[in-house]
Amino acid sequence: MFRLNPTDSSDTLTDKPRPTTEPDGNAHGLPEHGPRSGSAARGSVSKRLQQELMTLMMSGDKGISAFPESDNLFKWVGTIDGAQGTVYEGLRYRLSLEFPAGYPYQAPRVKFVTPCFHPNVDEHGFICLDILKDKWSALYDVRSILLSIQSLLGEPNNDSPLNAVAAELWDNQEAFRTHLHSTFQK
Amino acid sequence: MAAPVNIQAPSKTWELSLYELHRSPQEAIMDGTEVAVSPRSLHSELMCPICLDMLKNTMTTKECLHRFCSDCIVTALRSGNKECPTCRKKLVSRRSLRRDSNFDALISKIYPSRDEYEAHQRRVIERLNRLHNKEALSSSIEEGLRQQARYRSERNHRVKKPTQESDNTTYSGGEDNGDSRSHLSHDSAPSHTPHPCGQTPPEAGPSRKRPRPSEDGSGPEVDSESPTPPLRRHKEGPSSEIELVFRPHPQLVHAQDYNQTRYVKTTANATVDHLSKYLALRIALEDRRPERDPEDQGREEAGGEEVRAEGEGGENEGTGNAEGTRLSNVSEKQYTIYIMTRGGQFSTLNGSLTLELVNEKYWKVRKPLELYYAPTKEQQQPQQQQPPTPQREA
Repeated sequence: MFRLNPTDSSDTLTDKPRPTTEPDGNAHGLPEHGPRSGSAARGSVSKRLQQELMTLMMSGDKGISAFPESDNLFKWVGTIDGAQGTVYEGLRYRLSLEFPAGYPYQAPRVKFVTPCFHPNVDEHGFICLDILKDKWSALYDVRSILLSIQSLLGEPNNDSPLNAVAAELWDNQEAFRTHLHSTFQK
Repeated sequence: MAAPVNIQAPSKTWELSLYELHRSPQEAIMDGTEVAVSPRSLHSELMCPICLDMLKNTMTTKECLHRFCSDCIVTALRSGNKECPTCRKKLVSRRSLRRDSNFDALISKIYPSRDEYEAHQRRVIERLNRLHNKEALSSSIEEGLRQQARYRSERNHRVKKPTQESDNTTYSGGEDNGDSRSHLSHDSAPSHTPHPCGQTPPEAGPSRKRPRPSEDGSGPEVDSESPTPPLRRHKEGPSSEIELVFRPHPQLVHAQDYNQTRYVKTTANATVDHLSKYLALRIALEDRRPERDPEDQGREEAGGEEVRAEGEGGENEGTGNAEGTRLSNVSEKQYTIYIMTRGGQFSTLNGSLTLELVNEKYWKVRKPLELYYAPTKEQQQPQQQQPPTPQREA
């Protein structure tokens, strides 16, 4: 079932359509064709999201939070506080997280709602972060995503910037901080 | 100049690491002592990191030895990178995995009735599902915890266990809240009587009594205008737990009297009095165990609450028999708690000290706190030593 492929690019290997065990297939018209579709799968995704929510609420992590936006468990709002000792210290960002029906086998769509001036965030709030794309693993969860983004804030990857201006300014931390804080809008 | 040490160094691969040099080996426990393992600590071992549920048809990666449900790992490999979801070790094919039937057997030993466990989980989550808006969530989690406690005592009616602790260590592990600490928690937290802090439901135990820092603003809430719901106290960091080894006082207790070493894990803010009362209760329960009827089994869970009700008879105490009276006489004054000080002397601990304080003040080392107990002197022998607080037993 799994082919040996030394290059192991996920695109070439996302193999064969899965034998549909659920008779209803993707009849719900879900936007994603997740590896598991159908209501049973949706139930298991809900279950995992519920578990995550419970853990998040009890863990009391500093600097991050997340909660379902409304009564739709598949769309959450998260917040990230800029980490201490970084230019983002003192700023709080809101993010939206949308979970596909294939979660956790597929990454959620995460974007900044609060405009974020950062080398790896574009003007629409899209984030360039490998673990949200090809480096996604089913083990990541809301908590690890938010913590990863929090650390991305302080340690951008300036080699492939989405925001070239921010990438250039990054080397001058004082100027970056000044610009960041003067343009920050909730 | 090269010292001889340098010459020898490459061959010294056998050298013990610092850890190995300094660790003191754990002694094997051979005396039939029961050790309570918190199901919460087991939970992370028995959980599939993908579905966050208990492992089902466990598959283990052959090289890196990470475990997943069969369904979960197969789906993960089909839909994502061909690597171990936990550590990114390459998993070229399904042959990189093996069935781990031993682990399945282990789980079914610990959770004999998986269906029941799952049904219970479902109920909790459904309830949560229905009410997962911000305000309702906090109350629903509390409700869930309450249900778990109720469920546990119901089940103890049904499933009679031969050994005294097994009702805690085995089956009720299904609930997050049902770990061994709740034993002590039950006993030490006033229930059904208004708590000093006014907001502590009985099941949560002393850990919820902690004053919660309200300044941090890092709560789970999304909007900053609503106050942080009082949820995070349900689970606390490891620092707030304390492990105890609890032995009879070697000089004051005859060898044949409760010569049992007890291992207790509880919250660090429990006091010496709490511990003493817990002990009195355990001993009273163990004494009456031989002639108890199955009916009593369930009452045991509620035992802590009975004690709390001191003199009110306890709400689930229909019979009012002699044993019940005896239990309601249980008091923290019956046993005195000692700690061994540097010179090998035994020093009485004041009942109002928290275990955290005892640990810091007397113990300091990073291994389970060792305490000793003996019946308080006036109850047994002529008084030789002033107990920490005056006695007020009827």
